Amino acid sequence: MLENISLNTIFSIVLIFCAPIIGGFLMGIDRKLTARMQSRMGPPIIQPFYDVIKLWGKEPFISSTLQPILAFCYFGFSLTSFALLALGQDLLLIIFTLGIADSCLIIASLNSKSPYSVLGGKRELLSIMSYEPVLLLTAISIYYVTGSFMVARIFYLSYPLISYLPLVFIALIPVLVIDLKKSPYDVSASGHAHQELVRGVFTEFSGYSLALIELGHWTKVVMMLSLVSLFWATNLIIGICLALVLFFIVLVIDNVYPRLDWKSMLKTTWSIGIILIIANIVGLIARVVMHI
Amino acid sequence: MDQELLIALTIGAPTLAGLGCLILNDKIARKVIVSLSAILLIGSSFILFNGGGFSYEPNSILDTLVLFFDLMLLVYFFYVGIKFKNILVIGLSLLQLLPVLYFEFILHGVEGTPTFLIDELSLLMSLIISIVGSVIVIYGLNYMDEHEEHLHIQKSRQNRFFFFMLLLLGAMHGLVFSNNLYWLYFFWEITTLCSYELIRHDGTEIAIKNGITALWMNLIGGVAFVLTLFIGYYYFNSIAIDEILKMYQSPVVLLFLAVLSFAAFTKSAQFPFNSWLQGAMVAPTPVSALLHSSTMVNAGIYLILRIAPALNNSALSYSIALVGAFTFLTSAILALNERVSKGILAYSTIGNLGLIFLCIGINTPLSYASALALLIFHSVSKGLLFLCAGVVENRVHSRLIEDWEGLIRRLPATSIIMITAMLSMFLPPFGMLLGKWVAIEALSSSYYISSMLIILLLVLGSAATSVYYIKWLSYLTVLPLDGKNFESEKIPWSYVISLLTLFGLIIIMGTGVSSVFNLLILPTLPSNYYTNIDASIINLNTGIGSFVTYPLWLIIAAMVFFGYTLSKRKGGTVKPPYLSGENVVDDPTVFHTTADGIAKIEVSAQFFENEFSNNRLLVLSKILGSIIIMLLFFAVML
Repeated sequence: MLENISLNTIFSIVLIFCAPIIGGFLMGIDRKLTARMQSRMGPPIIQPFYDVIKLWGKEPFISSTLQPILAFCYFGFSLTSFALLALGQDLLLIIFTLGIADSCLIIASLNSKSPYSVLGGKRELLSIMSYEPVLLLTAISIYYVTGSFMVARIFYLSYPLISYLPLVFIALIPVLVIDLKKSPYDVSASGHAHQELVRGVFTEFSGYSLALIELGHWTKVVMMLSLVSLFWATNLIIGICLALVLFFIVLVIDNVYPRLDWKSMLKTTWSIGIILIIANIVGLIARVVMHI
Repeated sequence: MDQELLIALTIGAPTLAGLGCLILNDKIARKVIVSLSAILLIGSSFILFNGGGFSYEPNSILDTLVLFFDLMLLVYFFYVGIKFKNILVIGLSLLQLLPVLYFEFILHGVEGTPTFLIDELSLLMSLIISIVGSVIVIYGLNYMDEHEEHLHIQKSRQNRFFFFMLLLLGAMHGLVFSNNLYWLYFFWEITTLCSYELIRHDGTEIAIKNGITALWMNLIGGVAFVLTLFIGYYYFNSIAIDEILKMYQSPVVLLFLAVLSFAAFTKSAQFPFNSWLQGAMVAPTPVSALLHSSTMVNAGIYLILRIAPALNNSALSYSIALVGAFTFLTSAILALNERVSKGILAYSTIGNLGLIFLCIGINTPLSYASALALLIFHSVSKGLLFLCAGVVENRVHSRLIEDWEGLIRRLPATSIIMITAMLSMFLPPFGMLLGKWVAIEALSSSYYISSMLIILLLVLGSAATSVYYIKWLSYLTVLPLDGKNFESEKIPWSYVISLLTLFGLIIIMGTGVSSVFNLLILPTLPSNYYTNIDASIINLNTGIGSFVTYPLWLIIAAMVFFGYTLSKRKGGTVKPPYLSGENVVDDPTVFHTTADGIAKIEVSAQFFENEFSNNRLLVLSKILGSIIIMLLFFAVML
């Protein structure tokens, strides 16, 4: 038993340090697939790593003295939140820790006096306002199934989470779209520069701070996809496939839908997302009541 | 030491010190008196806290005195109503004066012994009031000098200011120690008097107007109190709160509790009674700080904390939670469009009080614990925020957050303290967020399908809360591009003491969360409230989740340290922002615009005035709030 736990812990710790690397590959795959959908060749899959290494060596320019510290914290707290997830900790705490990472990014973009960066920061703030309630409600609905907020408890279920919470799973799709900064909800920044926004929150980052931000973004993507994979935690291989399928769906959505403004983003998550989750919880409770 | 003496000290010392300040209108005498009474107050509340609970019956002469002063007070309110020709104040004071006369002189009152009943809850409240309250009064010593200088006041009016500030501290102690409803009512009315006098202190037109608003809104609560006296007389033949709370949960008991909760909502400024606390921001900053953090508004919270055990599983309890949840969400949304710094803080206070009511209303042991945690952490953080806002206001001479841009350069020390206080309001692992976390876990585990609605209001409100705080604090960190260096800042000693005390408390209580739970919160839970909370040094375990505290603090320290080291090592030159290549050489604050013009870069803060108007939302939420408050009385009938 003790050996088992320590083995798991070692596995988790290895996983934590691999998270940014996995995220980098996912970003590479993202670029390749997107290119193929648009009938282009696309860069090699390890292109994101080349980018980051090159960024790291560039001559350092900053927009304020706080900026690199905050960029580092963004990466650090994304990683912390993933670490908490990998160690089977409290779901709410994981979401709140992710909130620290996001706050760092937003403060870093708002505190430079750059119009594009501030615009991006404001919209990133609205992105958080859109998806945080959905994430918290997801954690609460998971509690209704497992009777605990600990991630570790999800692994003890006899049926996968998705069989209890199918609607919650669907509600997570827009959250993932927002978090990966994909169309239609790439309001704060996106992979390619938009006229009114340039690179949004990322505009004022360059050199090593941008490299840190990239690493943070990768980690955050891995963290969100791991959250998705918990929906089939009874067999983690299927769980990971589920996350990858959702990742692919998000890419397709990105290439199919044009951008929408922040109001429609907020409306989608605060209405459809929340209604789906509530419907699911009510259904869950009804099932329990009828069973009795 | 004698516990009776300590009670007399906690109530009497501030009151006497206040009288001293009133008579000796002198700068040095005031400093001595205020510092002495602060030391006495904090000392005696600490000793009381260590001593534990007891009951005490003072001399019956005091009963007569209380009656006498209470009548004087009501007559004074009546006089204020006549003077300012305010029909509401006249009506509401008469509605108290006549019934009280009838109650005392025709019905000859009723027993309510013991007059003072002190338990862990009152002791905890006393600790909060005396520590945070004293710090704020000490801060006021310097602030009022600056304030009067700024307003060019020749003859100092600080004597009446400090009299009412200190009287408020004494009255709050009386309020949390009283078990006799009549005494409680008396102290309740004194806090109303103090808030009215303090809000109108500056004597400007708006100050008097807002003072009157505060007065009549709080008088509604007083009327509710008088009603409870009569219920006590006719149905229970007692006005001792502990006895009534022990009674079988009959409709009359529920009505009694509903009326008390109604009074609590007026004092704690829940919708639709929010406007008095909003208006209180015209007063000098120490007043807002005192009213918002540790006194006034906490009186309402205390009352509901007191009656919560008698409410168990009633519809009434659920409606209290609903009032709180509604207020929490609405005030967070209203704060998004607020431009005045103190206005944002006021909405934040109203919202957090709502959150605390929500937790008490859910009424499980876990949610009761979270209510206490929120109460403690909120008092300290909000007190500090107001004190910082006051310092800034006296330096910058503006209350608009847009004028506070780049404050970190002009007032680095104050800004850093203020930013920490803001972070402590919404980010982990600070206490407020920890309290919210316990609240969410408590709500989820309360297993009512109806609690879903409350959870929903909570998560939406909490998202909006982060938005307005992040917006504000990043505004403080904006560095203007003119390349000037950080300025050094001179802070007077009384500011240093008060700011650092509260700042230290936030950090100590934040890092030592497990001790806060073990020493302050868990012993204060009512005896039949059993929780699984296990506060160890590494994490706080609720039985259904665990909050990693220490490791998270270490991680934060490590992040800041390594981030700082990295930024020092890599360095980097500060470059002007990206402006589509239209930058002007040598001046980073402007850019080339059309027709070879040159324009200044203007970046505004985020408001949502196109999306919704605060005035309309306020009207709407007052109507909705009134309907929800009416639910209290419907809930009694269920």
